[in-house]
Amino acid sequence: MGGLQKKKYERGSVTNYITRNKARKKLRLSLPDFRRLCILKGIYPHEPKHKKKVNKGSTAPRTFYLIKDIRFLLHEPIVGKFRDYKVFVRKLKKAYGKTEWSAVERLRENKPTYKLDHIIKERYPSFIDALRDIDDALCMCFLFSTFARTGKCHVQTIQLCRRLTVEWMNYVVAARALRKVFISIKGIYYQAEVMGQLITWLVPYQFSHDHPTDVDYRVMATFTELYTTLLGFINFRLYHSLNLLYPPKLDSKAECELKEENEEDYALNSECYLEKLSALSASLARMVSSAEEEEAQLDQFPVEGEDMEKLEAREREQKEQEAQKKLFDGLKFFLNREVPRESLAFIIRCFGGEVSWDKSVCIGSTYEVTEETITHHIVDRPNASTQYINRYYIQPQWVYDCINAKIVLPVEDYFLGVTLPPHLSPFVEEKEGDYMPPEKVKIMALQRGEKPAQEQEDEEEEDEDEDEEEEEDDNDDEEEDEEEDEEESEEKNLKKMEKQRSQGKSLQVKVTPGKMKVENPERLEQEEKAEEKRLAIMMMKKKEKYLYDKIMFGKKRKIREANKLTAKRKAHDDAEKANKKKTRK
Amino acid sequence: MAAARRLKRVVASQPGFLNFKSSSESLSGRRKRVNKNKKKSWNKHSDINDVEEFLEDVRLQERTTGGLLAEKSDDSLFFLDVGQPKRAERKAEPIEGKKRKGKTPRPLRIDLILQQDSLIPAPKDVLAYQQPNAKKLRRISQKAEQLAAKGVVTRRQKRLLSRRPVTKEAKKSDTEANNNPNRDYYDIWGQEQSTVKDSAEDWYLQQTGKKRVKRPEKLSDRPSVLPAVEVIAPGGSYNPDFFSHQALLKEAHEVEVKKQKEEDKLERQLAVNKDDTATEETVIREQVEGLVEEEEEEDEEEAAHDEEDEDAEGGSSLAKKKTERQRKREKADKIKELRRLDSKRQMDHRQQLFQLRSIKASIKQQEQSTEDKQKIRKANQEAEKSQPRRLGKLKFQAQDLEVQLSDELAGSLRQLKPEGSVLKDRFKSLQKRNLIEPRERAKFKRRHKLKYVEKRAFRAIT
Repeated sequence: MGGLQKKKYERGSVTNYITRNKARKKLRLSLPDFRRLCILKGIYPHEPKHKKKVNKGSTAPRTFYLIKDIRFLLHEPIVGKFRDYKVFVRKLKKAYGKTEWSAVERLRENKPTYKLDHIIKERYPSFIDALRDIDDALCMCFLFSTFARTGKCHVQTIQLCRRLTVEWMNYVVAARALRKVFISIKGIYYQAEVMGQLITWLVPYQFSHDHPTDVDYRVMATFTELYTTLLGFINFRLYHSLNLLYPPKLDSKAECELKEENEEDYALNSECYLEKLSALSASLARMVSSAEEEEAQLDQFPVEGEDMEKLEAREREQKEQEAQKKLFDGLKFFLNREVPRESLAFIIRCFGGEVSWDKSVCIGSTYEVTEETITHHIVDRPNASTQYINRYYIQPQWVYDCINAKIVLPVEDYFLGVTLPPHLSPFVEEKEGDYMPPEKVKIMALQRGEKPAQEQEDEEEEDEDEDEEEEEDDNDDEEEDEEEDEEESEEKNLKKMEKQRSQGKSLQVKVTPGKMKVENPERLEQEEKAEEKRLAIMMMKKKEKYLYDKIMFGKKRKIREANKLTAKRKAHDDAEKANKKKTRK
Repeated sequence: MAAARRLKRVVASQPGFLNFKSSSESLSGRRKRVNKNKKKSWNKHSDINDVEEFLEDVRLQERTTGGLLAEKSDDSLFFLDVGQPKRAERKAEPIEGKKRKGKTPRPLRIDLILQQDSLIPAPKDVLAYQQPNAKKLRRISQKAEQLAAKGVVTRRQKRLLSRRPVTKEAKKSDTEANNNPNRDYYDIWGQEQSTVKDSAEDWYLQQTGKKRVKRPEKLSDRPSVLPAVEVIAPGGSYNPDFFSHQALLKEAHEVEVKKQKEEDKLERQLAVNKDDTATEETVIREQVEGLVEEEEEEDEEEAAHDEEDEDAEGGSSLAKKKTERQRKREKADKIKELRRLDSKRQMDHRQQLFQLRSIKASIKQQEQSTEDKQKIRKANQEAEKSQPRRLGKLKFQAQDLEVQLSDELAGSLRQLKPEGSVLKDRFKSLQKRNLIEPRERAKFKRRHKLKYVEKRAFRAIT
């Protein structure tokens, strides 16, 4: 046999991969620098399909990268900056060692730095790409902005994150883009819709940090470095899309109102403006001040069939959204000092409400407690000391629940000292036939415009609602049954008549006055539909029929389970009620 | 010393001086004779207690009253006692109270403590106001003023004016850190069109090696299909619905049970097997091994030997040489067998014509099974996309579920105790989405062993 001997591991998948250490050596970077570069450039490790082949016969666990990715990294200008920085540190150390302070100063002045702008442009070629990836950036910035300035990361990073998050919140307020809020035990989840993209982010509670030891702060800081750059550019673009000034400026009118004589008490002069912005109580300045928003009517195109239905559904949705945006219009809130100010101020302003707080809580309060026009006073204590007669005193959960329900809920359940209804997650979307907690059912009824009368009747209605649903679900089957019954009864009648005839008896002839047959058009229509469906089922092929039966069975099973859960819940509630009664006695 | 002497003189001039402390000290006994011709001995042996006491007294008076009592007027020292002005005081107090409530808050206690209570003003720190080279500088500035008034521009000034202004700001933005909180942003996605049209420039950049390398399309794929933010289950609400909370608890419980099972398994595997440990019986047997003869075993061994021998003989008998005749016969047999098989195969082929239906069915079945397998494999691949991959030494370990037990749940937002850490959640999410590989914190390794030495002082005590 001629030819060269084939060497092992020189062709095939092994040529596509490179181990981390080799890649590091190829780039002439230290491991932390390499890691940082990979994060910034968006190059992630790969798991090869056949590890042993790629690892040249060894089964030792290794981190692999695609060799093409690493080759791409070789062209990155930042790599050079990293090397420069290494040299800079070495020189600085030397100068320190020799106590050459002038050299230290000179070196410090010429510290090598780098920008990530070109990386952002490269990774996100269009604005929408960037917007799709903003969830992470928001989470990270909100997280870092709540850090204490204790040296876990640079103070400057914390400040920058704070600035960016404040800008973001101001944008969401200005665009009224918020959709859902969920208070969890971990933090508060928000969801906003920006340019058709649903954006979810998590905000930690304030002052809740114990720094976990198993988190690599350096990695997190690198991600934050990238994300602050990204978020800044996105903010810029978003502000300009709304004709707002960037960096954000307060409205001149609002600024005058916020002017106070003892501003220095709150913050340093340099931080004062940011603090005022972060108060969220004032609107932002626009580029064209008199630009009143004109609601552009959507062009209507004639469409048919399914598209028509879709269009209608979309229109309905849009209307709902418009209504949701104006949820708190005309309402005036006052926050007591024990409620989370920033979160509440943010969401209330997002839905058009006015909000203020005690002067000593934060800068930027717009009116006092004594203001007559306040409609809702948010308190998180069992009782309030002085109560004004013309406003509701409610617990903060009301605001969150209203937003999730998209309507202004009745305030009775949220008065002070009242046991709150559960705070349901708006991120769960129940399909038809799933179990729904009664509170959700109630809210849905409210959304449909039904009004619960009193507390006592309320519960009954709930039950009715549930019953109705069940009936709806079972309707099809029942109708079928009914029709069969009718047929059977007719047959019976006929048989009877035949029997009588065969026996030679004269039929009992009797004339009864005719009755007007009242035709219920709705009922007729329903019957027709049911008939159609039945026929369609009959016409099905065996295979399809099997599938259909399977689906129906699944549905019924789901309904059964949901019913079981509701029954359980009812039993639970009843037991609790009984307990309460006992304790009362 | 000079001040003391002067004060002594002052005392002499004022015979009616009042002392806070009466000096009852009187000289008694004989005076010791000492030479006071040297300054040192003079200082040593002259008694200045009375002077110092007096000075102390003066200082006290100045500190507390702001001057010597003797110099004060009578009005400032005494007042006419005319009983208590009851009404006036009562009226005065509430006014004060009102004032306090309104604007001026009460000063802090710490400030009160730190306040200076001496009535003598602190001496002015002269050095703080002094300027080095003050005289010279003053002269220079005066001269400059004079020249300016005349309209003369010095050579020095001319040179300064003609110097190019240093563009320091541009450089600063160059070396500005990436996380500068006041950094400015611009429309990065806005300038796309302007750059594209300039093809000549494009060519230039390409040729000079300054053009950026195009990012491979494949890099924009995400390594996992998981969303960036996974919302906690509805049971994780701060005020959850009863059933969803129970569901979450159950989930957490299952995770915990699984962990426990694994631990138990490990423990079981690591536990000492009782069969392996030596009992008394086996120990004795081992000690007695070889001392007591056991005939039975030997017999068995012999029998085994015999069998082995027989086997060896049989093997050698097979290797006998074949005869010519045998070979021919075998060959013929072989050909015959081949022919038979061939004819059989042909027959089968012909027969297959009648089996067409069953063949078709079997093919169909095969296809169906491959299709099913494909489907399953595809589904598995899809499911794998959302799974964390093995990217390094360590496997991804999911974070503990955040759960609050029923009695830990807060009644209101104010009393809510946050569970878990968002930082850790974010970190784990990055790992879960295969953006970074799971790692362990590097362990601190000591290069040299620690050596403990008792200090001598410590040893002396013990």
